[in-house]
Amino acid sequence: MTSGRVLWHLVKADFLTRVRRTSFLVTLAFAVFLGYQVFAGNIVMQLDDYRGVYNSAWVGALMGVVTSTFLTLAGFYIVKGSILRDETTRVGQILAATPMSKSFYTVAKVLGNFAVLAAMVAVMGVAALAMQLVRAEDRTLHVWTLLSPLLLYALPAMAFVAALAVLFETLPLLRGGVGNVVWFFLWTGLMVLGVGQSVTHGGVVMHAGYFRDFSGMPTLMGQMRTTLLQVDPHFHNDFSLSVGSMKPHKQFLWTGVQWDGAQVAARLLWFVYALAGSLLAAVFFHRFDPARERFARKRNAAPERIAVVEFAAAKNLAQADPWTHRLTPLESSGAKNRFFALVAAELRVMLQGHRWWWYAIAGALFVACLAAPLSASRGGVILAAWIWPLLIWSQMGGREARYATGSLIFSAPHALDRQLPAAWVAGALVTLATGGGLLIRLLIAGDGRGVAGFLVAVCFIPSLALALGILTGGSKFFEALYTVWWYTGAAHHIRGLDFMGTVDASGTPVVYLGLTVVLLAVCWTRRRTQLAYA
Amino acid sequence: MSGAHYVTVTIRHRSWNQGGRISVWGFKPLSEVPRVKLSIENVGKRYSGNVWALRRFSLELKPGVLGLLGPNGAGKTTLMNILATITRASEGTVTWNGVDVAKDPNALRAVLGYLPQDFGVYPNLSAQEFLEYLAAVKGLDATAARRRIDQLLNVVNLADVRGRPLGGFSGGMKQRVGIAQALLNDPRLLIVDEPTAGLDPEERVRFRNLLSDLSGERIVILSTHIVSDVEATATDIALISNGALVAHASPEDLLQRVDGRVWEWVIPSADLNAVKQVYRVSNTARRSDGVHVRVLSEEPPQGARPVAPTLEDAYLDALSVYRTGVAA
Repeated sequence: MTSGRVLWHLVKADFLTRVRRTSFLVTLAFAVFLGYQVFAGNIVMQLDDYRGVYNSAWVGALMGVVTSTFLTLAGFYIVKGSILRDETTRVGQILAATPMSKSFYTVAKVLGNFAVLAAMVAVMGVAALAMQLVRAEDRTLHVWTLLSPLLLYALPAMAFVAALAVLFETLPLLRGGVGNVVWFFLWTGLMVLGVGQSVTHGGVVMHAGYFRDFSGMPTLMGQMRTTLLQVDPHFHNDFSLSVGSMKPHKQFLWTGVQWDGAQVAARLLWFVYALAGSLLAAVFFHRFDPARERFARKRNAAPERIAVVEFAAAKNLAQADPWTHRLTPLESSGAKNRFFALVAAELRVMLQGHRWWWYAIAGALFVACLAAPLSASRGGVILAAWIWPLLIWSQMGGREARYATGSLIFSAPHALDRQLPAAWVAGALVTLATGGGLLIRLLIAGDGRGVAGFLVAVCFIPSLALALGILTGGSKFFEALYTVWWYTGAAHHIRGLDFMGTVDASGTPVVYLGLTVVLLAVCWTRRRTQLAYA
Repeated sequence: MSGAHYVTVTIRHRSWNQGGRISVWGFKPLSEVPRVKLSIENVGKRYSGNVWALRRFSLELKPGVLGLLGPNGAGKTTLMNILATITRASEGTVTWNGVDVAKDPNALRAVLGYLPQDFGVYPNLSAQEFLEYLAAVKGLDATAARRRIDQLLNVVNLADVRGRPLGGFSGGMKQRVGIAQALLNDPRLLIVDEPTAGLDPEERVRFRNLLSDLSGERIVILSTHIVSDVEATATDIALISNGALVAHASPEDLLQRVDGRVWEWVIPSADLNAVKQVYRVSNTARRSDGVHVRVLSEEPPQGARPVAPTLEDAYLDALSVYRTGVAA
């Protein structure tokens, strides 16, 4: 079989595995949702108070930029996990025993990721077509003008994201939750890098800037500004791609991206970056070597040592007389309501595997909350204190699915009315303990509203984690959503989004209390359906 | 036997086991142990696409070891999942001591020990910590649980590695952790699905013995496709195929059905294919004098001698009767 055929079958199998899962439909639904938000005017691209007439050029540019910004952020989380899936299904071990090279595998995985992301881009293309026809401000359809931003802005960006997702999976530090957090900040950096370039050049993008422009937005901004300045010399040079209800009141005619050779080359270069990322991933790829996989790399688990342990156990077996061991019957085999023991057990499982330095930093943040001025503690230090346990919260609700322990736990008595609340209480205790320094400060200051906001956050965060864990069966969604929410809402003190209530003006504890109740109801309902008999 | 001591001495003898032996275990006095009964009435399970994994399955179980035998995809694991309250039956009822499990699942779960075919562990926890966690989930008293875990880790030969993270355990060692967790709450109903998968021969023998000893006043359901496991431990056997109960009988009864219909003779290697065309071959063994062929047949093949049937012969015969309507 030729390499091309092998690659084709690898990508095909990978793609089919994904598209036949419900999560793929959710992925496409997300793309449709995003497309609808653009159509409905909830995602708006504007220059001062201007927007373009909804012709092929403007609609295509809008969809292209929305896809290369918002969808690249979400797309990473959607496609990351393909190597892990081969690891958990053990298909990887079969592949590892074939002559396939590491680089071949990583390139195939990147192509599989890209195929999924390209499907989302295709949905956005259909949405663009529908938007232009339904909006009907200009029904003349220019197919290349409409679709070229999606093809040359969105697709290259998606290819790079596809490669980064695989690269992250091959790097031990980034393959888990840390990688999910790092991606958000890396993505922010990619956006800022391009925008900064545009601003530096006063609205005119130099060719050199193309090569740093991940999303295509800065390039687009430059061209649109040039056009608008001819229409309105008083244009203030403001450009925004915003989510919300701010509607621009003026329109201008934009005829589309002026593609030149350098620009096209710069966009295609992202495919080259993607290929480079794929090959770099191959360097770090463990090729499903059990000694280098996820769990085997933990302390005290070197392969040689395991072999010794196994041998020792076998030796003991041969020597032992098992019939001399006696099992003393339990006083009563009936299950007791030992709720606090269960909370302690959940807490232990939650904190499993964390090293001393994790506790040291958590302790330092607690002290910092306590020692800093109240405003700094509430508005700043608590942000650090409540991002630190992110990977602990993110295990909630999905741990049973991730580690396949559901059949053991759900066949125990009262899994719904004891184990689930115990898991939530354990999560709330972690939240309370890590941010506890602030609570003490608020109590000393007699800040009742602050205390209320703090306690609501203590309830809200584990509720969100538990609900998303139960719903998705994994940690990725919470890690992504919480990081974005934490950064955009809490860190920027945005009223309504600031679930921590970092300042009085931005806190809405009643809203989050209500949301907590809803999330807990979701947890209860979903877990109830997971159990055959609740 | 005094009621104050929780020890009985049982002497067992099985013709198909390793012979007579004395085992000493801690069981509750019989007077304190309630008789247990598990009834499965017309149970069916339908999956999406109108696929029935189990249909009109009825069985009544009393203390002892039930060996659940059947080919791959027969519905064994589905039945296990229903009995372990992991999956809800699409039709029919399961009752535990007269209590409908659908209405009060906790009545069964409180006395249930379950070893699934596929299960996971938390890799960063040690065996000791993992068992402590599951003991808490099962609602066991901390002191009693600690003592029980100590004993169980000895029984499954993991006492020396109790403090090591489970992520570094081999498949067989994880399986032994699974066995230990199933016994944590001193279950009245023990359901074990392919329990010897991944165990080495010595561990397999130990586990068989463990099951035999545990079966005193509890119901043990052992699902497997390894006939020798069932042969060694089961007091009753249920054969299942295509989601239906093919036979439910004691091993002796099943063996009786093929008595006088199992033959063995030696043939040249070249004749083996021809023999397979005519007879249902249950075993072949290449030796220096040729191929020793074991077949199931009403009439003796020429030159063959009758041999004592094994449970494997009985199993193949029962499946053959179920599928074709005629004995092999």
